[in-house]
Amino acid sequence: MYGRGKLTLGKLKERYKRLNTDYEGFLFIAPACLLIFIFGIFPVFYTLYISLFKWRIKRGAFLGLANYGELFGSYGILLLLAAAVMAVIGGTLLLNGREKRREKNHSSPLRGLLIGGKAAQAAGWIGLILLLPLIYSRGDKKLLDSLRVTIWYSLGTVPFQLLFGLTLSIMLNREFKGRQAFRVIYLLPYVVPSVAAATVFERLFSLRPESFANQVVQSLGKAPLQWLQEPKGLLTLWFGWGTGESYLQTWLQGPSLALATIMIFNWWVFAGYYALIFSNGLSQIPTQLYDAAKVDGAGFWTTLRNITIPMLSPTTFFLTMLGIIGTFKAFNQIYILRNPAARGATDPLSIQIFFTFFRKSRFGYASAMALILFAIVLALTVLQQRLMSKDVHYGD
Amino acid sequence: MEIKPKRKLTEVLFLAALLLGAFVALMPFLYMVANSLKTYGETVTRVSSNPFSPRFWPRKLQWNNYLTIIRDDNMGHYFSNSLIIALITVSGIIATSTLAAYGFSKMRFPGRDRIFTVLLVTLMIPETVLLIPNFLIISSLRWVDRLAALTVPFMGSAFFIFFLRQFFKQIPDALMEAAKIDGASHLTILVRIMVPLIRAPLFTVFFLAFNGSWNALQWPMVVTQSDRWRPISVAVAKYVTEAGPETQLRMASAMVALAPILVIFLIAQKQITEAITNTGMKG
Repeated sequence: MYGRGKLTLGKLKERYKRLNTDYEGFLFIAPACLLIFIFGIFPVFYTLYISLFKWRIKRGAFLGLANYGELFGSYGILLLLAAAVMAVIGGTLLLNGREKRREKNHSSPLRGLLIGGKAAQAAGWIGLILLLPLIYSRGDKKLLDSLRVTIWYSLGTVPFQLLFGLTLSIMLNREFKGRQAFRVIYLLPYVVPSVAAATVFERLFSLRPESFANQVVQSLGKAPLQWLQEPKGLLTLWFGWGTGESYLQTWLQGPSLALATIMIFNWWVFAGYYALIFSNGLSQIPTQLYDAAKVDGAGFWTTLRNITIPMLSPTTFFLTMLGIIGTFKAFNQIYILRNPAARGATDPLSIQIFFTFFRKSRFGYASAMALILFAIVLALTVLQQRLMSKDVHYGD
Repeated sequence: MEIKPKRKLTEVLFLAALLLGAFVALMPFLYMVANSLKTYGETVTRVSSNPFSPRFWPRKLQWNNYLTIIRDDNMGHYFSNSLIIALITVSGIIATSTLAAYGFSKMRFPGRDRIFTVLLVTLMIPETVLLIPNFLIISSLRWVDRLAALTVPFMGSAFFIFFLRQFFKQIPDALMEAAKIDGASHLTILVRIMVPLIRAPLFTVFFLAFNGSWNALQWPMVVTQSDRWRPISVAVAKYVTEAGPETQLRMASAMVALAPILVIFLIAQKQITEAITNTGMKG
């Protein structure tokens, strides 16, 4: 069959490749790929299409970018915003390009690229910050309000969960009887369906004087609180800050007590999960390091600061990014725990999108909001990938 | 080596802190169980923030609370809906993901790795972004309020393909080559040789996918308009946010909604704690 012609290495490779190609493979991946394409990839482009229309259940008039204009206030603001974002991205690309060229050629410092890149980044960020009050006063207040909720939610959950998780994992990091029982108990809040768990918390933190939380508050000699139904910010409640209408004032209010209650729910759900992921990280630290520290006479805190925490930095980083991205995607627990009395003070973008779509039937406008959410999550994921590829490892 | 007194003290402190953590983790569950068995009057007047106090618990166990939510509020129907939806979705996920993971790791065809990368990118997309277009797709298929809408869109999962592919890659090709020489087809190799070798990861997929389906709220809320296929997550969410049922009934419904997950978790706690630690997620 193959007797004709000279048998060269190239031909052999060719033949090997042909014999080893399984076109049947397409059949194996087809069901999954088809489903993922129809319900996971195509919809992203479809959302973009929907966002360009007035679309209330049925498709209406073509609006171009008007939905985005309504969100941000005007086409002018939209243009400035796009310019600011482009400046940040462009600046970053310039700096990246400089790094790459420097690796190839050590002698040239490429100062122009450095200054240009940094300047573009700085101008972009300053532009973004200056635009915020303008977007708040001209555009849809819900957009920036919900982003502020999300940022408070991240700040009020991730650092605390890291702290609780790390503490628990250090204590769990020894061989002792009943260790697995603790792991199971700590993981319970995370594993259990969030709808059910949130239903319980909704009662624990009810405003009624007989609720669990108010029992605790009263036993400390304080008056019962409104918890999930309190729209006022913590800083307003404590110091009377942030009573004005301007955008800066909304930040001075701090997170609402209602949102803080949802944060407590988050701590409860994630502390044990963080502990488990941390103990996985702890078990990978070489014991020789601890032995060496012991020989040097290092105590518990020195070892913690100089060995444990630096060695755990990849885990900490993973959990931080997971937590931040998670707050942007959070839905179930907030849907259950939110109360109309809190007047939106607990609602992140995901909830706003859902109500704009589901209750108000504004499909086009909600799609535009959804794409903004997507852009933010995408930016965070790209940031995570970039930081991961740089050295977050092992501090040295 | 003798134990120094200072060391013993830290041991005690550590254990105390661990117990405190366990207490905080369990408290809401105790509250749920206790209040699901109280009378309405007891949920208002017989209260305590201390689970060791008798006032935390009911005087007499009111099992008929469960009867009430199952009979009058239809929770039994929603529960079986959820079970059917979860089992169908999980079967679909396991079938498509095993096939695809095998294809992506053990078979050679043009564009294989590029297609896989595209699949991985979809993991970044938030569910809310897909909600509106998918609703329109489901509407145009006339699937709204039908079982297919609750199961089919979830049956393809890039995450589970990625997860299973790692295990297939660890299985040496020699095993496959031997079977091939004997004339076995890829499907035979997959079912007869590979699947028995990846039983543990398949269980992980089962648990994570079951949990994900059981816990889903946003999508089922959008595509169910009647009670016919409404799952328990949506039913409980409607129950507690729209109507004003009494505390003991809310707690009983929460109990029903988390029971199956709790049972699976407690039976297979060893595998599941390991699976979650290793994958970093629960589905």
